[in-house]
Amino acid sequence: MKDQNNTQNDILESEDDLFRFVEYSPEAAEMTGYSDYSYWKSVFQNFVKKKSAVVLTIIFILMVIFSFVALAIGKYDYKTLETNSSQSFISPDSEYWFGTDNIGRDYWCQVWYASQTSIKLAFIVAVGECLLGITIGCVWGYVRKLDGFFTELYNLINNVPMIIYMTLIALLIGQSFKIMAISLICFDWLVMARNVRNLVIIYRDREYNLASRTLGTPVHRVLIKNILPQLISVIILRLALSIPGTITMETTLSYLGLGLDINTPSLGILLRNARSYFLDYPYLLIFPAVIVSIITVTFYLIGNAFSDASDPRNHV
Amino acid sequence: MFKYTVKRLAQSFITVFIVVTLVFLLMRMLPTDYYFTEEQLMKFTEQQKNDQLLAAGLLDPVPEQLLRFYGQLLRLDFGESRRIQNGVPVVKVIGTKFEISMKMGLTSLGIAVVIGIVMGIIQAQYKNRIPDHLGTAYTIFVNAVPPLVSYSLVLIFGSRVLGLPSIYSSRNPGPSSILPIVCLAMLSIAWWALWTRRYMIDEINKDYIKLARIKGLPTKKIMRKHVLRNAFVPLAQYLPASILTTVGGSLLVERFFSVPGMGPLLTDSIHRYDLNVVQTLVIMYSVLSILGVFLGDVLMIVVDPRITLTNKGGTR
Repeated sequence: MKDQNNTQNDILESEDDLFRFVEYSPEAAEMTGYSDYSYWKSVFQNFVKKKSAVVLTIIFILMVIFSFVALAIGKYDYKTLETNSSQSFISPDSEYWFGTDNIGRDYWCQVWYASQTSIKLAFIVAVGECLLGITIGCVWGYVRKLDGFFTELYNLINNVPMIIYMTLIALLIGQSFKIMAISLICFDWLVMARNVRNLVIIYRDREYNLASRTLGTPVHRVLIKNILPQLISVIILRLALSIPGTITMETTLSYLGLGLDINTPSLGILLRNARSYFLDYPYLLIFPAVIVSIITVTFYLIGNAFSDASDPRNHV
Repeated sequence: MFKYTVKRLAQSFITVFIVVTLVFLLMRMLPTDYYFTEEQLMKFTEQQKNDQLLAAGLLDPVPEQLLRFYGQLLRLDFGESRRIQNGVPVVKVIGTKFEISMKMGLTSLGIAVVIGIVMGIIQAQYKNRIPDHLGTAYTIFVNAVPPLVSYSLVLIFGSRVLGLPSIYSSRNPGPSSILPIVCLAMLSIAWWALWTRRYMIDEINKDYIKLARIKGLPTKKIMRKHVLRNAFVPLAQYLPASILTTVGGSLLVERFFSVPGMGPLLTDSIHRYDLNVVQTLVIMYSVLSILGVFLGDVLMIVVDPRITLTNKGGTR
């Protein structure tokens, strides 16, 4: 800014060459619209302004860290747990911090191991769904010829109840962490792709993109540089909401016996096992329930706050 | 309008047709051993199995089976159940379960719509004050926490504190269906409250409401005559769909409280490979969901005469 003012003053001082031609220099051309606005910096600033969101983020990070610490300091290791029916249903005490389950296994390490599994699954699904959803959504929205095909595909997958697919997958392929993650990604990309597609259609034919196309910008550059930045807040919101969504889905499917196999402890499996006993032994429900609620509620709120912050329209 | 309806119904028919065919083919992917109960598998020789399959026409080439299936559908013959209730017509199997699910669903929907809309109105009226924050906290909790956890909390509170039965029994359906109904209503209350609030606040900020205020209309009248009526239009679209989906029951709630309703029937029939039941259910669900959206559009036109689905001259 300063340099520019100086040059302007110089020009005004010598009125003779008021209208002389300036030699073209790309740096100077860039100078005119200069401000120190940076998108991610503004996002960060807006996010930090919301104290509650920051607190929740810290809580979430602490919890993830603690789940590792908890496994390390626990008196039992998940992999060497043994069933011992004489030890069943011991209420939480100094030996078994979260008590024991119906077949006498330490509940503390099960709960923390399960939360790690669930968080891991949720993150893998969220990232996978984002990549697949954004890619397909962009193609779906940008290439007119493929619109009909993808719309039909969407209707087809969306109209058959998901429970049928999940049951068939469980019966035909089996149940494991990998299968669960892949099949959840295969269904969840639909929502993301549809959101992205709708927005791509809105921005596709704006004048600036038309100009870009006429100037010969390749398609992938138009998509990545011109259109995707407009979608960031929607994508982030979807990404953040997909984490509680996946955890909910996992608990529901595992409860119905369609999710993870019983040997992979997840919060869903624990809640499912607890269903028969928690009326008499409420601690079997409370520990996994509190942890799963903390994860989902914090992420739900963080997601909303972050998506507000990442919307350029809210930036100063 | 008539032409539009016919066109749309024809389109829906094609969708249902494709979905049904897809499910038919998916179900034929399972190995033939699934046709028999474990007991039968132990007793039968290969020869007997083959004979049974031949008699049921399940060994014919798939295209032939598919054609026969279409023929039966045209005669509205949905076949008999094989494994759920041996030899009973599918329509009968569904009929008994249907009633339980629908009664429960309609009661909970009625409660949810009334409470949800009232909650939304109160929240909109006291925007950013304590009642609004309480309502938002409720919706966030219900949306973020996995239903399995919130159902468990309802179950503990209901059976421990209020002494209500924790499992549905057909001998006293009244008291034992209170908790399932509460669980069903809980989620939809949050949904109705959230969207009533959102649409009402959008409406309150419009210019004609300001004009009404300037004219000196009392707030109560503005809320009832202008804001609520206009805010209800977008909500009306979802009403028929939610009424129709009550027929399907809720898989999770019905499993959780052992309600013998429609919800678990689909997974059970897939697990036990009851082809006719699965196919009939899929047809039913897809017809209901398509019909729901269509009736929603019709209701929206009835509620707000300004909306048209067909192009009038001059409109786009």
